[in-house]
Amino acid sequence: MPENKLELAKQRQELLRKAVNYEPVDRIPFTFLGPAYGPRSVGVPLSKFCLDADTAVNSTLDALDAMGDIEGINNMVSGYWPCLLSSLWLSKIAVPGIELPPDELWQVREEEVMKVEDYDLIINKGYEAFLGTIIPKVHKMDLFAKNNAWMAANLARTPQRYRERGYAILTSMNTTIPFEPFCGARSMEKFFFDCYRMPDKVKAAMDVALPFYINLGIAVTTATGVPGTWVGGWRAASAMVSPKIWDKLVYPYYYEMVQKFHEKGILCVLHFDQNWDRDIARFLDFPKGCVFSPDGATDIRRAKEILGDHMAFLGDVPASILAAGTPDDVYQYVRELIRDLGPRGLIMNSGCDMPYNTPKENAQAFVAATHEYGTYVKPPEAGR
Amino acid sequence: MDKLEAIRTALGEVEEDQAIAAVKAAVAANVPATEILLACQQGVEEVGRRFELKQYFISELMMTGEILRQITDIVGPMLKTGDAVAGGKVVFGTVQGDIHNIGKDIVISMLRSANLDVVDLGIDVPPAKFVEALKESGATVLGLSGLLTLAYDSMKLTIEAVAAAGMREKVKIMIGGGTVNGDVCRKVGADDWGTDPVKAVRLAKQWTGGANA
Repeated sequence: MPENKLELAKQRQELLRKAVNYEPVDRIPFTFLGPAYGPRSVGVPLSKFCLDADTAVNSTLDALDAMGDIEGINNMVSGYWPCLLSSLWLSKIAVPGIELPPDELWQVREEEVMKVEDYDLIINKGYEAFLGTIIPKVHKMDLFAKNNAWMAANLARTPQRYRERGYAILTSMNTTIPFEPFCGARSMEKFFFDCYRMPDKVKAAMDVALPFYINLGIAVTTATGVPGTWVGGWRAASAMVSPKIWDKLVYPYYYEMVQKFHEKGILCVLHFDQNWDRDIARFLDFPKGCVFSPDGATDIRRAKEILGDHMAFLGDVPASILAAGTPDDVYQYVRELIRDLGPRGLIMNSGCDMPYNTPKENAQAFVAATHEYGTYVKPPEAGR
Repeated sequence: MDKLEAIRTALGEVEEDQAIAAVKAAVAANVPATEILLACQQGVEEVGRRFELKQYFISELMMTGEILRQITDIVGPMLKTGDAVAGGKVVFGTVQGDIHNIGKDIVISMLRSANLDVVDLGIDVPPAKFVEALKESGATVLGLSGLLTLAYDSMKLTIEAVAAAGMREKVKIMIGGGTVNGDVCRKVGADDWGTDPVKAVRLAKQWTGGANA
Protein backbone atom coordinates (compact mmCIF):
# COMPACT_ATOMS: atom_id res chain seq x y z
CA MET A 1 0.00 0.00 0.00
CA PRO A 2 1.59 3.34 -0.99
CA GLU A 3 2.46 5.84 1.73
CA ASN A 4 1.31 8.71 -0.46
CA LYS A 5 -2.41 9.08 0.09
CA LEU A 6 -3.08 10.65 -3.29
CA GLU A 7 -1.37 7.74 -4.98
CA LEU A 8 -3.36 5.33 -2.82
CA ALA A 9 -6.60 7.06 -3.81
CA LYS A 10 -5.58 6.78 -7.45
CA GLN A 11 -4.96 3.05 -7.12
CA ARG A 12 -8.26 2.56 -5.34
CA GLN A 13 -10.08 4.55 -8.01
CA GLU A 14 -8.52 2.30 -10.61
CA LEU A 15 -9.75 -0.77 -8.74
CA LEU A 16 -13.27 0.64 -8.75
CA ARG A 17 -12.98 1.32 -12.46
CA LYS A 18 -11.92 -2.26 -13.10
CA ALA A 19 -14.79 -3.64 -11.08
CA VAL A 20 -17.31 -1.46 -12.90
CA ASN A 21 -15.90 -2.65 -16.23
CA TYR A 22 -15.69 -6.37 -15.37
CA GLU A 23 -11.92 -6.39 -15.59
CA PRO A 24 -9.98 -8.83 -13.39
CA VAL A 25 -9.34 -7.52 -9.86
CA ASP A 26 -6.94 -8.63 -7.17
CA ARG A 27 -9.59 -7.93 -4.59
CA ILE A 28 -13.22 -6.96 -4.52
CA PRO A 29 -13.42 -3.28 -3.70
CA PHE A 30 -15.44 -2.03 -0.76
CA THR A 31 -17.29 1.29 -0.81
CA PHE A 32 -18.81 2.88 2.24
CA LEU A 33 -22.29 4.32 2.37
CA GLY A 34 -23.43 5.39 5.79
CA PRO A 35 -24.22 9.07 6.20
CA ALA A 36 -25.68 8.44 9.65
CA TYR A 37 -23.51 5.52 10.72
CA GLY A 38 -20.37 7.45 9.77
CA PRO A 39 -20.56 10.37 12.18
CA ARG A 40 -22.00 8.25 15.00
CA SER A 41 -19.17 5.74 14.65
CA VAL A 42 -16.65 8.50 15.39
CA GLY A 43 -18.64 10.16 18.17
CA VAL A 44 -20.16 13.05 16.22
CA PRO A 45 -23.85 13.70 16.98
CA LEU A 46 -26.16 13.64 13.96
CA SER A 47 -27.20 17.23 14.72
CA LYS A 48 -23.64 18.41 14.02
CA PHE A 49 -23.48 16.29 10.88
CA CYS A 50 -26.70 17.90 9.64
CA LEU A 51 -26.06 21.48 10.71
CA ASP A 52 -22.41 21.97 9.82
CA ALA A 53 -21.23 20.95 6.35
CA ASP A 54 -17.55 20.89 7.27
CA THR A 55 -18.29 18.58 10.18
CA ALA A 56 -20.27 16.38 7.79
CA VAL A 57 -17.30 15.96 5.48
CA ASN A 58 -14.71 15.64 8.26
CA SER A 59 -16.70 13.08 10.26
CA THR A 60 -17.29 11.05 7.10
CA LEU A 61 -13.56 11.04 6.40
CA ASP A 62 -12.87 9.95 9.99
CA ALA A 63 -15.47 7.21 9.61
CA LEU A 64 -13.81 5.99 6.42
CA ASP A 65 -10.54 5.74 8.37
CA ALA A 66 -12.32 3.87 11.16
CA MET A 67 -13.79 1.34 8.72
CA GLY A 68 -10.28 0.04 7.99
CA ASP A 69 -8.75 -0.80 4.66
CA ILE A 70 -11.54 0.11 2.25
CA GLU A 71 -11.43 1.63 -1.21
CA GLY A 72 -13.64 4.65 -0.79
CA ILE A 73 -17.07 6.15 -0.67
CA ASN A 74 -20.11 5.20 -2.73
CA ASN A 75 -21.66 8.67 -2.76
CA MET A 76 -19.57 11.65 -1.71
CA VAL A 77 -20.93 13.47 1.34
CA SER A 78 -20.82 17.23 0.80
CA GLY A 79 -22.90 20.15 1.95
CA TYR A 80 -25.76 20.35 4.42
CA TRP A 81 -27.33 16.93 4.52
CA PRO A 82 -30.97 17.93 5.16
CA CYS A 83 -30.81 20.21 2.10
CA LEU A 84 -29.70 17.35 -0.10
CA LEU A 85 -32.61 15.21 1.05
CA SER A 86 -35.18 17.99 0.74
CA SER A 87 -33.95 18.83 -2.76
CA LEU A 88 -33.95 15.20 -3.85
CA TRP A 89 -37.43 14.33 -2.61
CA LEU A 90 -39.01 17.80 -2.33
CA SER A 91 -40.04 16.80 1.17
CA LYS A 92 -39.69 18.33 4.58
CA ILE A 93 -37.08 16.66 6.73
CA ALA A 94 -37.25 16.40 10.51
CA VAL A 95 -33.70 17.29 11.54
CA PRO A 96 -31.79 16.22 14.66
CA GLY A 97 -30.95 19.27 16.71
CA ILE A 98 -34.00 21.11 15.39
CA GLU A 99 -37.19 19.04 15.52
CA LEU A 100 -35.51 15.92 16.87
CA PRO A 101 -33.10 15.24 19.75
CA PRO A 102 -29.44 15.80 18.78
CA ASP A 103 -28.55 12.21 18.05
CA GLU A 104 -31.76 10.86 16.55
CA LEU A 105 -31.95 9.92 12.89
CA TRP A 106 -33.41 12.45 10.44
CA GLN A 107 -36.73 11.43 8.92
CA VAL A 108 -38.94 12.48 6.03
CA ARG A 109 -42.14 14.27 7.01
CA GLU A 110 -44.87 13.08 4.68
CA GLU A 111 -46.87 16.19 3.82
CA GLU A 112 -48.68 17.51 0.77
CA VAL A 113 -46.69 20.61 -0.18
CA MET A 114 -47.46 20.45 -3.90
CA LYS A 115 -51.07 20.88 -5.04
CA VAL A 116 -52.78 19.38 -8.06
CA GLU A 117 -52.75 22.78 -9.77
CA ASP A 118 -48.95 22.83 -9.55
CA TYR A 119 -48.83 20.39 -12.46
CA ASP A 120 -50.28 23.21 -14.59
CA LEU A 121 -47.76 25.66 -13.14
CA ILE A 122 -44.94 23.35 -14.21
CA ILE A 123 -46.42 22.76 -17.67
CA ASN A 124 -47.20 26.41 -18.35
CA LYS A 125 -44.45 28.31 -16.52
CA GLY A 126 -41.58 25.83 -16.34
CA TYR A 127 -39.96 23.76 -13.62
CA GLU A 128 -37.85 26.56 -12.15
CA ALA A 129 -41.01 28.60 -11.59
CA PHE A 130 -42.48 25.70 -9.65
CA LEU A 131 -39.28 25.21 -7.64
CA GLY A 132 -39.41 28.88 -6.71
CA THR A 133 -42.69 28.24 -4.93
CA ILE A 134 -41.89 24.85 -3.45
CA ILE A 135 -38.37 25.40 -2.08
CA PRO A 136 -39.52 27.66 0.79
CA LYS A 137 -42.13 25.05 1.69
CA VAL A 138 -39.73 22.12 2.06
CA HIS A 139 -36.38 23.63 2.98
CA LYS A 140 -35.26 25.30 6.16
CA MET A 141 -34.31 28.49 4.34
CA ASP A 142 -31.44 29.47 6.64
CA LEU A 143 -29.83 26.08 6.00
CA PHE A 144 -30.67 26.34 2.32
CA ALA A 145 -28.78 29.66 2.09
CA LYS A 146 -25.83 28.21 4.01
CA ASN A 147 -25.81 25.18 1.76
CA ASN A 148 -25.75 27.28 -1.40
CA ALA A 149 -22.87 29.35 -0.06
CA TRP A 150 -20.95 26.28 1.12
CA MET A 151 -21.43 24.49 -2.19
CA ALA A 152 -20.28 27.52 -4.19
CA ALA A 153 -17.14 27.79 -2.09
CA ASN A 154 -16.35 24.12 -1.42
CA LEU A 155 -17.97 21.64 -3.77
CA ALA A 156 -15.27 21.68 -6.44
CA ARG A 157 -12.47 21.01 -3.96
CA THR A 158 -14.30 18.46 -1.80
CA PRO A 159 -13.24 15.40 -3.83
CA GLN A 160 -9.63 16.35 -3.20
CA ARG A 161 -10.28 16.18 0.55
CA TYR A 162 -11.29 12.56 0.13
CA ARG A 163 -8.33 11.79 -2.10
CA GLU A 164 -5.90 13.42 0.31
CA ARG A 165 -7.09 10.89 2.87
CA GLY A 166 -6.55 8.07 0.37
CA TYR A 167 -10.11 7.42 -0.72
CA ALA A 168 -11.70 6.88 -4.10
CA ILE A 169 -15.12 8.28 -4.96
CA LEU A 170 -17.66 6.35 -6.99
CA THR A 171 -20.27 9.11 -7.36
CA SER A 172 -20.44 12.78 -6.46
CA MET A 173 -24.07 13.48 -7.30
CA ASN A 174 -27.44 12.21 -6.27
CA THR A 175 -30.26 12.68 -8.71
CA THR A 176 -33.43 10.94 -9.78
CA ILE A 177 -36.37 11.04 -12.16
CA PRO A 178 -39.32 13.42 -11.62
CA PHE A 179 -41.49 10.61 -10.21
CA GLU A 180 -39.58 10.78 -6.90
CA PRO A 181 -39.71 14.53 -6.15
CA PHE A 182 -43.31 14.70 -7.38
CA CYS A 183 -44.20 11.83 -5.06
CA GLY A 184 -42.42 13.48 -2.15
CA ALA A 185 -44.00 16.86 -2.75
CA ARG A 186 -47.55 15.66 -3.38
CA SER A 187 -47.23 13.02 -0.60
CA MET A 188 -47.23 9.41 -1.67
CA GLU A 189 -50.91 8.62 -1.43
CA LYS A 190 -52.08 11.70 -3.29
CA PHE A 191 -49.43 11.30 -5.95
CA PHE A 192 -50.37 7.68 -6.59
CA PHE A 193 -54.01 8.76 -6.96
CA ASP A 194 -52.86 11.41 -9.47
CA CYS A 195 -51.11 8.68 -11.45
CA TYR A 196 -54.45 6.89 -11.78
CA ARG A 197 -56.69 9.90 -12.23
CA MET A 198 -54.62 12.24 -14.42
CA PRO A 199 -51.68 10.30 -15.87
CA ASP A 200 -51.41 12.48 -18.98
CA LYS A 201 -51.12 15.66 -16.96
CA VAL A 202 -48.56 14.12 -14.61
CA LYS A 203 -46.59 12.96 -17.63
CA ALA A 204 -46.68 16.40 -19.23
CA ALA A 205 -45.27 17.92 -16.03
CA MET A 206 -42.62 15.21 -15.80
CA ASP A 207 -41.55 15.94 -19.37
CA VAL A 208 -40.90 19.53 -18.33
CA ALA A 209 -39.08 18.53 -15.12
CA LEU A 210 -36.75 15.85 -16.46
CA PRO A 211 -34.19 18.13 -18.16
CA PHE A 212 -33.71 19.99 -14.87
CA TYR A 213 -32.58 16.82 -13.10
CA ILE A 214 -30.39 15.70 -16.00
CA ASN A 215 -28.72 19.10 -16.30
CA LEU A 216 -28.18 19.27 -12.55
CA GLY A 217 -26.44 15.90 -12.64
CA ILE A 218 -24.20 17.02 -15.46
CA ALA A 219 -23.42 20.34 -13.75
CA VAL A 220 -22.48 18.82 -10.38
CA THR A 221 -20.37 15.99 -11.78
CA THR A 222 -18.62 18.53 -14.00
CA ALA A 223 -17.96 20.80 -11.02
CA THR A 224 -16.58 17.99 -8.86
CA GLY A 225 -14.65 16.33 -11.65
CA VAL A 226 -16.03 12.98 -10.44
CA PRO A 227 -18.03 11.65 -13.39
CA GLY A 228 -20.42 9.43 -11.48
CA THR A 229 -23.93 9.96 -10.20
CA TRP A 230 -26.63 8.10 -8.40
CA VAL A 231 -29.77 7.68 -10.42
CA GLY A 232 -32.03 7.00 -7.48
CA GLY A 233 -35.20 4.97 -7.19
CA TRP A 234 -37.30 4.56 -4.07
CA ARG A 235 -41.05 4.91 -4.56
CA ALA A 236 -40.71 4.31 -8.29
CA ALA A 237 -39.81 0.68 -7.54
CA SER A 238 -41.58 -2.11 -9.39
CA ALA A 239 -43.12 -3.38 -6.15
CA MET A 240 -44.73 0.00 -5.58
CA VAL A 241 -46.50 0.79 -8.83
CA SER A 242 -48.56 -1.07 -11.39
CA PRO A 243 -46.96 -1.88 -14.76
CA LYS A 244 -49.32 0.61 -16.42
CA ILE A 245 -47.95 3.46 -14.29
CA TRP A 246 -44.36 2.21 -14.39
CA ASP A 247 -44.31 1.96 -18.18
CA LYS A 248 -45.65 5.49 -18.61
CA LEU A 249 -44.26 7.49 -15.71
CA VAL A 250 -41.13 5.66 -14.52
CA TYR A 251 -39.23 3.67 -17.12
CA PRO A 252 -39.07 6.22 -19.98
CA TYR A 253 -37.55 8.78 -17.62
CA TYR A 254 -34.86 6.45 -16.32
CA TYR A 255 -34.09 5.47 -19.89
CA GLU A 256 -33.65 9.03 -21.08
CA MET A 257 -31.71 10.11 -17.99
CA VAL A 258 -29.27 7.21 -18.20
CA GLN A 259 -28.80 7.73 -21.95
CA LYS A 260 -27.99 11.41 -21.45
CA PHE A 261 -25.51 10.73 -18.65
CA HIS A 262 -23.93 7.94 -20.65
CA GLU A 263 -23.44 10.26 -23.63
CA LYS A 264 -21.58 12.64 -21.30
CA GLY A 265 -19.36 9.85 -19.94
CA ILE A 266 -21.02 9.92 -16.51
CA LEU A 267 -21.24 6.62 -14.64
CA CYS A 268 -24.79 5.84 -13.51
CA VAL A 269 -25.18 4.00 -10.23
CA LEU A 270 -28.77 2.82 -10.18
CA HIS A 271 -29.38 3.22 -6.48
CA PHE A 272 -32.63 1.27 -6.37
CA ASP A 273 -34.22 0.62 -2.99
CA GLN A 274 -37.22 -1.67 -2.62
CA ASN A 275 -38.03 -4.55 -4.97
CA TRP A 276 -37.39 -4.21 -8.73
CA ASP A 277 -37.69 -7.91 -9.64
CA ARG A 278 -40.58 -7.44 -12.07
CA ASP A 279 -38.71 -5.10 -14.36
CA ILE A 280 -35.07 -6.18 -14.15
CA ALA A 281 -34.94 -7.25 -17.80
CA ARG A 282 -35.89 -3.73 -18.88
CA PHE A 283 -32.51 -2.50 -17.67
CA LEU A 284 -30.89 -4.41 -20.52
CA ASP A 285 -32.14 -1.50 -22.65
CA PHE A 286 -29.78 0.84 -20.81
CA PRO A 287 -26.31 1.35 -22.24
CA LYS A 288 -23.75 -1.13 -20.95
CA GLY A 289 -21.61 0.05 -18.08
CA CYS A 290 -24.03 1.18 -15.37
CA VAL A 291 -23.89 -0.15 -11.82
CA PHE A 292 -26.94 -1.78 -10.30
CA SER A 293 -27.24 -1.05 -6.58
CA PRO A 294 -30.16 -2.76 -4.84
CA ASP A 295 -30.86 -2.67 -1.10
CA GLY A 296 -31.42 -6.34 -0.34
CA ALA A 297 -35.10 -6.36 -1.32
CA THR A 298 -34.44 -7.14 -5.00
CA ASP A 299 -33.28 -10.67 -5.80
CA ILE A 300 -29.70 -9.77 -6.71
CA ARG A 301 -28.83 -13.28 -7.95
CA ARG A 302 -31.75 -13.34 -10.34
CA ALA A 303 -30.79 -9.81 -11.43
CA LYS A 304 -27.27 -11.07 -12.13
CA GLU A 305 -28.63 -13.97 -14.18
CA ILE A 306 -30.71 -11.59 -16.28
CA LEU A 307 -28.29 -8.68 -16.59
CA GLY A 308 -25.08 -10.72 -16.80
CA ASP A 309 -22.13 -8.40 -17.39
CA HIS A 310 -24.34 -5.67 -18.83
CA MET A 311 -23.87 -3.79 -15.59
CA ALA A 312 -21.76 -4.18 -12.47
CA PHE A 313 -23.31 -4.77 -9.05
CA LEU A 314 -23.05 -3.00 -5.75
CA GLY A 315 -24.09 -5.63 -3.29
CA ASP A 316 -26.18 -5.38 -1.05
CA VAL A 317 -25.83 -6.45 2.61
CA PRO A 318 -29.30 -5.71 4.01
CA ALA A 319 -29.90 -3.16 6.73
CA SER A 320 -31.62 -5.77 8.89
CA ILE A 321 -28.51 -7.98 8.95
CA LEU A 322 -26.16 -5.08 9.63
CA ALA A 323 -28.32 -3.60 12.38
CA ALA A 324 -29.80 -6.70 14.00
CA GLY A 325 -27.64 -9.63 12.84
CA THR A 326 -24.45 -11.03 14.30
CA PRO A 327 -20.94 -10.78 12.83
CA ASP A 328 -21.41 -14.39 11.71
CA ASP A 329 -24.57 -13.40 9.82
CA VAL A 330 -22.65 -10.63 8.08
CA TYR A 331 -19.78 -12.99 7.25
CA GLN A 332 -22.14 -15.54 5.77
CA TYR A 333 -23.99 -13.00 3.63
CA VAL A 334 -20.76 -11.53 2.27
CA ARG A 335 -19.24 -14.96 1.58
CA GLU A 336 -22.30 -16.12 -0.36
CA LEU A 337 -22.57 -12.86 -2.24
CA ILE A 338 -18.96 -13.02 -3.41
CA ARG A 339 -19.41 -16.70 -4.28
CA ASP A 340 -22.51 -16.03 -6.34
CA LEU A 341 -21.73 -12.66 -7.94
CA GLY A 342 -17.95 -12.24 -7.85
CA PRO A 343 -15.18 -11.98 -8.56
CA ARG A 344 -15.64 -9.56 -11.45
CA GLY A 345 -18.17 -6.79 -11.70
CA LEU A 346 -18.85 -6.67 -7.96
CA ILE A 347 -18.28 -3.88 -5.46
CA MET A 348 -19.12 -4.62 -1.84
CA ASN A 349 -21.48 -2.17 -0.21
CA SER A 350 -24.33 -2.10 2.25
CA GLY A 351 -27.81 -2.40 0.74
CA CYS A 352 -28.63 1.32 0.76
CA ASP A 353 -27.11 3.05 3.81
CA MET A 354 -25.34 1.20 6.56
CA PRO A 355 -27.86 1.73 9.37
CA TYR A 356 -26.90 4.26 12.01
CA ASN A 357 -27.35 1.61 14.71
CA THR A 358 -25.06 -0.97 13.10
CA PRO A 359 -22.92 -2.47 15.89
CA LYS A 360 -19.24 -1.74 15.36
CA GLU A 361 -18.41 -5.48 15.35
CA ASN A 362 -20.80 -5.97 12.41
CA ALA A 363 -19.14 -3.14 10.47
CA GLN A 364 -15.74 -4.71 11.17
CA ALA A 365 -17.01 -8.14 10.10
CA PHE A 366 -18.34 -6.60 6.89
CA VAL A 367 -14.91 -5.30 5.86
CA ALA A 368 -13.02 -8.35 7.15
CA ALA A 369 -15.29 -10.80 5.32
CA THR A 370 -14.91 -8.85 2.08
CA HIS A 371 -11.14 -9.10 2.37
CA GLU A 372 -11.20 -12.74 3.46
CA TYR A 373 -13.39 -13.99 0.63
CA GLY A 374 -12.67 -11.36 -1.99
CA THR A 375 -8.87 -11.18 -2.15
CA TYR A 376 -7.03 -13.02 -4.89
CA VAL A 377 -3.33 -13.77 -5.20
CA LYS A 378 -3.78 -13.75 -8.95
CA PRO A 379 -6.70 -11.85 -10.44
CA PRO A 380 -9.20 -14.53 -11.51
CA GLU A 381 -9.64 -14.66 -15.25
CA ALA A 382 -12.95 -16.41 -15.16
CA GLY A 383 -15.87 -14.37 -14.04
CA ARG A 384 -19.48 -15.26 -13.98
CA MET B 1 -74.58 -7.48 -14.85
CA ASP B 2 -75.99 -7.92 -11.36
CA LYS B 3 -75.55 -4.74 -9.32
CA LEU B 4 -73.49 -6.41 -6.61
CA GLU B 5 -71.40 -8.26 -9.17
CA ALA B 6 -70.69 -4.90 -10.83
CA ILE B 7 -69.35 -3.60 -7.52
CA ARG B 8 -67.22 -6.71 -6.95
CA THR B 9 -65.80 -6.55 -10.47
CA ALA B 10 -65.05 -2.83 -10.47
CA LEU B 11 -63.29 -3.03 -7.11
CA GLY B 12 -61.39 -6.14 -8.13
CA GLU B 13 -60.24 -4.27 -11.25
CA VAL B 14 -59.48 -1.14 -9.14
CA GLU B 15 -61.65 0.97 -11.46
CA GLU B 16 -62.54 3.99 -9.35
CA ASP B 17 -65.24 5.61 -11.49
CA GLN B 18 -66.94 2.32 -12.29
CA ALA B 19 -66.90 1.21 -8.65
CA ILE B 20 -68.46 4.44 -7.39
CA ALA B 21 -71.06 4.38 -10.18
CA ALA B 22 -71.91 0.75 -9.38
CA VAL B 23 -72.38 1.57 -5.68
CA LYS B 24 -74.58 4.56 -6.49
CA ALA B 25 -76.66 2.38 -8.81
CA ALA B 26 -77.07 -0.21 -6.06
CA VAL B 27 -78.07 2.47 -3.56
CA ALA B 28 -80.61 3.87 -6.04
CA ALA B 29 -82.04 0.38 -6.44
CA ASN B 30 -82.45 0.09 -2.64
CA VAL B 31 -79.92 -2.71 -2.27
CA PRO B 32 -79.27 -2.96 1.51
CA ALA B 33 -76.07 -1.31 2.72
CA THR B 34 -74.85 -4.54 4.32
CA GLU B 35 -75.03 -6.32 0.95
CA ILE B 36 -73.16 -3.51 -0.78
CA LEU B 37 -70.42 -3.63 1.84
CA LEU B 38 -70.19 -7.40 1.57
CA ALA B 39 -69.72 -7.07 -2.20
CA CYS B 40 -67.00 -4.49 -1.53
CA GLN B 41 -65.28 -6.86 0.87
CA GLN B 42 -65.32 -9.57 -1.79
CA GLY B 43 -63.89 -7.12 -4.33
CA VAL B 44 -61.10 -6.26 -1.91
CA GLU B 45 -60.37 -9.93 -1.38
CA GLU B 46 -59.86 -10.21 -5.13
CA VAL B 47 -57.42 -7.28 -4.97
CA GLY B 48 -55.54 -9.08 -2.18
CA ARG B 49 -55.46 -12.30 -4.20
CA ARG B 50 -54.00 -10.54 -7.21
CA PHE B 51 -51.46 -8.78 -4.98
CA GLU B 52 -50.27 -12.13 -3.70
CA LEU B 53 -50.01 -13.37 -7.27
CA LYS B 54 -47.83 -10.30 -8.02
CA GLN B 55 -50.38 -9.05 -10.53
CA TYR B 56 -51.09 -6.02 -8.34
CA PHE B 57 -48.69 -3.78 -6.46
CA ILE B 58 -48.76 -1.19 -3.67
CA SER B 59 -50.37 1.44 -5.90
CA GLU B 60 -53.41 -0.81 -6.42
CA LEU B 61 -53.75 -1.35 -2.66
CA MET B 62 -53.64 2.38 -2.03
CA MET B 63 -56.17 3.10 -4.75
CA THR B 64 -58.45 0.37 -3.41
CA GLY B 65 -58.32 2.00 0.01
CA GLU B 66 -59.26 5.34 -1.55
CA ILE B 67 -62.21 3.83 -3.44
CA LEU B 68 -63.42 2.16 -0.25
CA ARG B 69 -63.21 5.44 1.62
CA GLN B 70 -65.52 7.03 -0.93
CA ILE B 71 -67.90 4.08 -0.84
CA THR B 72 -68.05 4.24 2.96
CA ASP B 73 -69.01 7.93 2.69
CA ILE B 74 -71.90 6.94 0.42
CA VAL B 75 -73.09 3.82 2.20
CA GLY B 76 -72.14 4.57 5.82
CA PRO B 77 -75.16 6.84 6.53
CA MET B 78 -77.48 4.03 5.36
CA LEU B 79 -76.24 1.59 8.00
CA LYS B 80 -78.55 0.92 10.90
CA THR B 81 -77.40 0.22 14.44
CA GLY B 82 -76.26 -3.38 14.63
CA ASP B 83 -75.63 -3.66 10.88
CA ALA B 84 -71.87 -3.48 11.18
CA VAL B 85 -70.39 -6.56 12.79
CA ALA B 86 -66.65 -6.20 13.11
CA GLY B 87 -64.53 -9.31 12.66
CA GLY B 88 -62.14 -8.60 15.54
CA LYS B 89 -60.20 -5.80 17.17
CA VAL B 90 -56.69 -4.70 16.28
CA VAL B 91 -54.51 -1.98 17.81
CA PHE B 92 -52.05 -0.56 15.30
CA GLY B 93 -49.37 2.12 15.26
CA THR B 94 -45.89 3.17 14.18
CA VAL B 95 -43.53 2.67 17.10
CA GLN B 96 -41.78 5.36 19.11
CA GLY B 97 -39.03 7.25 17.29
CA ASP B 98 -40.40 6.51 13.82
CA ILE B 99 -42.69 9.01 12.11
CA HIS B 100 -43.51 7.06 8.95
CA ASN B 101 -47.19 6.58 8.34
CA ILE B 102 -47.60 5.29 4.78
CA GLY B 103 -47.09 1.58 5.42
CA LYS B 104 -49.22 1.76 8.55
CA ASP B 105 -52.03 3.56 6.76
CA ILE B 106 -52.13 1.06 3.88
CA VAL B 107 -52.28 -1.86 6.29
CA ILE B 108 -55.02 -0.24 8.38
CA SER B 109 -57.04 0.51 5.26
CA MET B 110 -56.81 -3.15 4.21
CA LEU B 111 -57.63 -4.39 7.71
CA ARG B 112 -60.73 -2.21 7.87
CA SER B 113 -61.81 -3.32 4.42
CA ALA B 114 -61.57 -6.87 5.76
CA ASN B 115 -64.13 -5.90 8.41
CA LEU B 116 -61.69 -5.64 11.29
CA ASP B 117 -62.12 -2.95 13.95
CA VAL B 118 -58.81 -1.05 14.05
CA VAL B 119 -57.62 1.42 16.68
CA ASP B 120 -55.09 3.63 14.84
CA LEU B 121 -52.65 5.15 17.34
CA GLY B 122 -50.73 7.10 14.71
CA ILE B 123 -46.97 7.51 14.55
CA ASP B 124 -44.16 7.80 17.11
CA VAL B 125 -46.25 5.87 19.64
CA PRO B 126 -44.66 5.15 23.05
CA PRO B 127 -45.01 1.65 24.52
CA ALA B 128 -47.33 2.78 27.32
CA LYS B 129 -49.82 4.12 24.78
CA PHE B 130 -50.00 0.75 23.03
CA VAL B 131 -50.62 -0.96 26.38
CA GLU B 132 -53.30 1.54 27.31
CA ALA B 133 -55.08 1.08 23.96
CA LEU B 134 -55.00 -2.71 24.29
CA LYS B 135 -56.55 -2.44 27.74
CA GLU B 136 -59.24 0.02 26.68
CA SER B 137 -60.21 -1.72 23.45
CA GLY B 138 -59.84 -5.33 24.52
CA ALA B 139 -58.08 -5.96 21.20
CA THR B 140 -56.36 -9.32 20.83
CA VAL B 141 -54.09 -8.30 17.96
CA LEU B 142 -51.33 -5.67 18.03
CA GLY B 143 -49.63 -4.38 14.89
CA LEU B 144 -46.33 -2.53 15.20
CA SER B 145 -45.07 -0.68 12.17
CA GLY B 146 -41.64 0.83 11.56
CA LEU B 147 -39.66 1.72 8.45
CA LEU B 148 -36.27 2.30 9.97
CA THR B 149 -33.90 -0.02 11.80
CA LEU B 150 -34.24 2.27 14.80
CA ALA B 151 -37.75 0.83 15.12
CA TYR B 152 -36.39 -2.55 16.25
CA ASP B 153 -35.58 -1.34 19.75
CA SER B 154 -38.94 0.37 20.09
CA MET B 155 -40.75 -2.75 18.92
CA LYS B 156 -38.90 -4.80 21.52
CA LEU B 157 -39.64 -2.29 24.28
CA THR B 158 -43.30 -2.20 23.30
CA ILE B 159 -43.62 -5.97 23.37
CA GLU B 160 -41.86 -6.05 26.74
CA ALA B 161 -44.31 -3.45 28.02
CA VAL B 162 -47.25 -5.59 26.87
CA ALA B 163 -45.72 -8.54 28.72
CA ALA B 164 -45.10 -6.45 31.83
CA ALA B 165 -48.78 -5.50 31.82
CA GLY B 166 -49.64 -9.21 31.93
CA MET B 167 -51.26 -9.19 28.47
CA ARG B 168 -48.75 -11.00 26.32
CA GLU B 169 -50.54 -14.35 26.39
CA LYS B 170 -53.81 -12.77 25.28
CA VAL B 171 -52.41 -10.56 22.54
CA LYS B 172 -50.88 -11.73 19.26
CA ILE B 173 -48.30 -9.31 17.91
CA MET B 174 -47.20 -8.70 14.34
CA ILE B 175 -44.46 -6.37 13.18
CA GLY B 176 -44.17 -4.85 9.73
CA GLY B 177 -42.02 -2.52 7.68
CA GLY B 178 -39.50 -2.44 4.90
CA THR B 179 -36.56 -3.86 6.85
CA VAL B 180 -38.16 -6.45 9.13
CA ASN B 181 -37.62 -10.17 8.65
CA GLY B 182 -37.80 -13.41 10.62
CA ASP B 183 -34.65 -12.66 12.59
CA VAL B 184 -35.91 -9.25 13.63
CA CYS B 185 -39.25 -10.84 14.56
CA ARG B 186 -37.54 -13.31 16.89
CA LYS B 187 -35.27 -10.69 18.39
CA VAL B 188 -38.05 -8.29 19.29
CA GLY B 189 -40.29 -11.11 20.52
CA ALA B 190 -43.19 -10.74 18.06
CA ASP B 191 -45.38 -13.62 16.90
CA ASP B 192 -45.09 -12.96 13.19
CA TRP B 193 -43.94 -10.37 10.67
CA GLY B 194 -44.61 -9.10 7.18
CA THR B 195 -43.63 -6.60 4.57
CA ASP B 196 -46.96 -6.43 2.78
CA PRO B 197 -50.49 -5.50 3.85
CA VAL B 198 -52.14 -8.66 2.58
CA LYS B 199 -50.16 -10.81 4.98
CA ALA B 200 -51.19 -8.48 7.80
CA VAL B 201 -54.85 -9.05 6.93
CA ARG B 202 -54.35 -12.81 6.77
CA LEU B 203 -52.64 -12.88 10.17
CA ALA B 204 -55.23 -10.63 11.81
CA LYS B 205 -58.09 -12.72 10.49
CA GLN B 206 -56.40 -15.92 11.56
CA TRP B 207 -55.70 -14.59 15.05
CA THR B 208 -59.18 -13.19 15.53
CA GLY B 209 -60.85 -16.35 14.29
CA GLY B 210 -62.09 -14.84 11.04
CA ALA B 211 -61.88 -16.14 7.49
CA ASN B 212 -58.64 -17.73 6.27
CA ALA B 213 -57.99 -19.05 9.77
